[in-house]
Amino acid sequence: MGAAAIGFQRALRHLGITGEVFAGEVAPGFDAIVHPLSKLRVEPDDLVLYHHGIASSLVAKVLHLPCRRGLVFHNITPARFYAGTRLAEPLVTGRAQLTALAGHVDVAIGVSAFNARELEAAGHRDVKVVPLLVEPERFAPSQADAALLARLQLRGAPRIVSVSRVMPHKRVDDLLSLHQELKRIAPRAQLVIVGGYEAGQAAFKALKRRADALGQVTFLGKVPHAQLVAAYRAADLFVSMSEHEGLGVPLLEAFASEVPVLAFGAAAVPETMGGRGLVFDEKHFAALAEVALHVTSNEVMREQVVVGQKERLADFSLESVANALRHALPERRSAPKRRTTRPRVAFVVQRFGEFIVGGAEAHARQVAMALAPHAAVEVFTTCATDHLSWKNELEAGTSRDGPLTVHRFPSSRFRNIRGFNRLSDGLFGKPQDLVTESRWIADQGPTSPALLERLVAERERFDAVAFFTYLYQPTVYGVPLLADRALVVPTAHDEPPLAFHLFGDVFEQPRALLCNTPEEEALIRARFPNAAPSSVVGVGVTPLAPKPERFRDAFDVHGPYLLYVGRMESGKGVSELIDFHQALVKAFHDAPTLVLAGSGELKPRGDRVIAVGRVDEQTKWDALGGAMAVVVPSRYESLSLLALEAFAVGTPVIGNTSGAVIRGQLERSQAGAGYDDERSFIEAVKVVGEKRAALSKKARAYGAKHQWPTVIDAWLSTISRISRHRSER
Amino acid sequence: MKLFGKDVTTKKLLDVVKERLGARGLLPPSEDAGLDEGTEAPVEAFAFAVESMSEHVDATQGLPIETHRDGVAGQAVVLAKQAFRKVGQLFINEALARQMVFNGHVLDGYSQLTAEVVRLRSKVAALEAQLAKVEAPPKPPVLKVPKLTAKAPAPKSTSKPPRAPKRR
Repeated sequence: MGAAAIGFQRALRHLGITGEVFAGEVAPGFDAIVHPLSKLRVEPDDLVLYHHGIASSLVAKVLHLPCRRGLVFHNITPARFYAGTRLAEPLVTGRAQLTALAGHVDVAIGVSAFNARELEAAGHRDVKVVPLLVEPERFAPSQADAALLARLQLRGAPRIVSVSRVMPHKRVDDLLSLHQELKRIAPRAQLVIVGGYEAGQAAFKALKRRADALGQVTFLGKVPHAQLVAAYRAADLFVSMSEHEGLGVPLLEAFASEVPVLAFGAAAVPETMGGRGLVFDEKHFAALAEVALHVTSNEVMREQVVVGQKERLADFSLESVANALRHALPERRSAPKRRTTRPRVAFVVQRFGEFIVGGAEAHARQVAMALAPHAAVEVFTTCATDHLSWKNELEAGTSRDGPLTVHRFPSSRFRNIRGFNRLSDGLFGKPQDLVTESRWIADQGPTSPALLERLVAERERFDAVAFFTYLYQPTVYGVPLLADRALVVPTAHDEPPLAFHLFGDVFEQPRALLCNTPEEEALIRARFPNAAPSSVVGVGVTPLAPKPERFRDAFDVHGPYLLYVGRMESGKGVSELIDFHQALVKAFHDAPTLVLAGSGELKPRGDRVIAVGRVDEQTKWDALGGAMAVVVPSRYESLSLLALEAFAVGTPVIGNTSGAVIRGQLERSQAGAGYDDERSFIEAVKVVGEKRAALSKKARAYGAKHQWPTVIDAWLSTISRISRHRSER
Repeated sequence: MKLFGKDVTTKKLLDVVKERLGARGLLPPSEDAGLDEGTEAPVEAFAFAVESMSEHVDATQGLPIETHRDGVAGQAVVLAKQAFRKVGQLFINEALARQMVFNGHVLDGYSQLTAEVVRLRSKVAALEAQLAKVEAPPKPPVLKVPKLTAKAPAPKSTSKPPRAPKRR
């Protein structure tokens, strides 16, 4: 039910509805994504959707919530399967609670028509059906754990796979009976059972003994998503012997994994299958073994079944779930529409202010300032200054920043960066399910529900809402909420989180993507082929007249120097840059000084290294104007603003070409040199030293192309297009 | 056994299966099975709660002893639980005496309240039905005119025509 709630939350965002998930018990590590019920506070107009299954103490709370109430019924296993055990009573109690809720909820939803019928039988009226979300791309071949897939495929065939917890009503014993019969006619047959079990339980031990006696049976247990996909993908046939399902999600996952499904037609199984795959009504194991062998050995039949199964998945897509929810939920009151001629734009960015040097946040502020004379710009941001912890250090409320109105909202959760990095290390590079990706986004932050609620409430005031940086929570949650007027400045580069499917919401849902470079645009299109219309816009640069001597005097800098301006973080390649520079100093007595401007976790030290800390705008331009070259050491950039600023004052750039973006900027400008290791760094410094005058000329020519009027024209035409499309609909 | 699936000719597939089973000297599946898509009967909330509370009102009585372990370990667990109850029953009774009194009052109060709710619900339903009758718009007056349909030949009737009342 947890996964269902997260899926519904995502679908609701696609309808422009904000919401949080609460639970009676929150598993360790999930506190970012799910809140304890004790924290639930409601307003009379709110709607609480309660997900019901087995008996729960939440029902008492739900019945007395002073707001609108909705029920989502996931079904309850009939107690007859657990007669004589302690589980029987909570199962019956769950059904009694279902009856008790009738007349006390404004919306009753079954996740299948079968469940809807049980809701009606329990006294609920006007029951709606909203299916659960199944995302086929999460079961693509690329998502499978290659090692497990290879291991399973090495074993004999046909391989029968079943996915379910080992529980009495799932009838694992029947799977063994089928396996026994299948082995008579296909001696190399394999049975793989995926799902949690209690190894010490007598019932499981009996199953295991029988499985061991039969041979070629594997209990994989509960496995991570990539291994689950590997199990599905290794299967020649998926079999379900379950005698009760309110909606069979594993059946649909098998559909998505392109495996033919053979399932016992109990309860909602036939409805789930929708006429696809094969459903049987009698457990005649010898006959079923013949069916299994025929289906797995007949390629034409297999193909027909798989194609049909894939068609069925359209009914469980995000679009279908969102549409069903739209029809199930009560109508919302829409705010009156605004009528003005000057466009009004909301900027959403995780941090905002003059204090931020470089990065997407500085980019957002520059664009906002340049756009302000042409549009009313309001910024929605957090109270954080520190992007590692998101602690509230600025006052919440509305203030002015020159021509801009800035609304600051508190973060409701702070980030433990060490814990977060550990979580990231565990997830990156491996395919994940929706819940795990959602958990990462929730941990990533900054979490500010008030920010999104205010934006949604005031959506009609804005012609467009511009989200900066694809990577943070306000963008991931905000874009689907405001998709009809959203434009995204992704500032994406090739980094592990970009593999997460959840970012499809950011790249596919908005009305426009404004990229910084052709490389960024190509990267997004390669990763998300259905991405929204995009264009390369970037930023403009307006240099202040540099006076290099002023900088030299202020910081006692003599002779030629290399300059880096930005965050002092290892992730930005600064440590590597210092190491390479020290090698340069050791090798050449006239090596230029390395000047580092900015603040961060690193405290730079070294021979001929000068750290000047954070500098003001004029000092930055003074430093840029006097540098022999500016160094861009980060390999993960969507655009190097620093490089553009250097070009604008005729300073060549030495850039880390491990990243495609810097490489592209250097190739297009021909105004610098690249490096990707110590040797090439030293070589680049030599090249720039020798050809500085010629490179400087090319730098100025390239810098002149990045002017604000061109950038602002692109912004205004995008805003106008978004607004026009909306009014035409 | 029947097979269902619109992407496969299931009858043909079943025929193949039956043929193979026959060749192996096995009996074919039955012909008369059917899908069971029936829903579960609802559970009446008040009645269930009263019954369940009555069953559990005596907190000094433990639930049936069970274990999920088999073999010697399972027997040992059952024995240990039985021994604990036997030795500790006196103390359990003492510790839960007040709980017993409380449970009795809760069950009593709940039964009275639910009985009252049930009585009021049926009364409300009856009143709503009466209100609906009162508020229903009056039926429009009936204008008794002969039917203006074209004359068609009368169908042959197999039943006897109604007899005219005998004149006295």
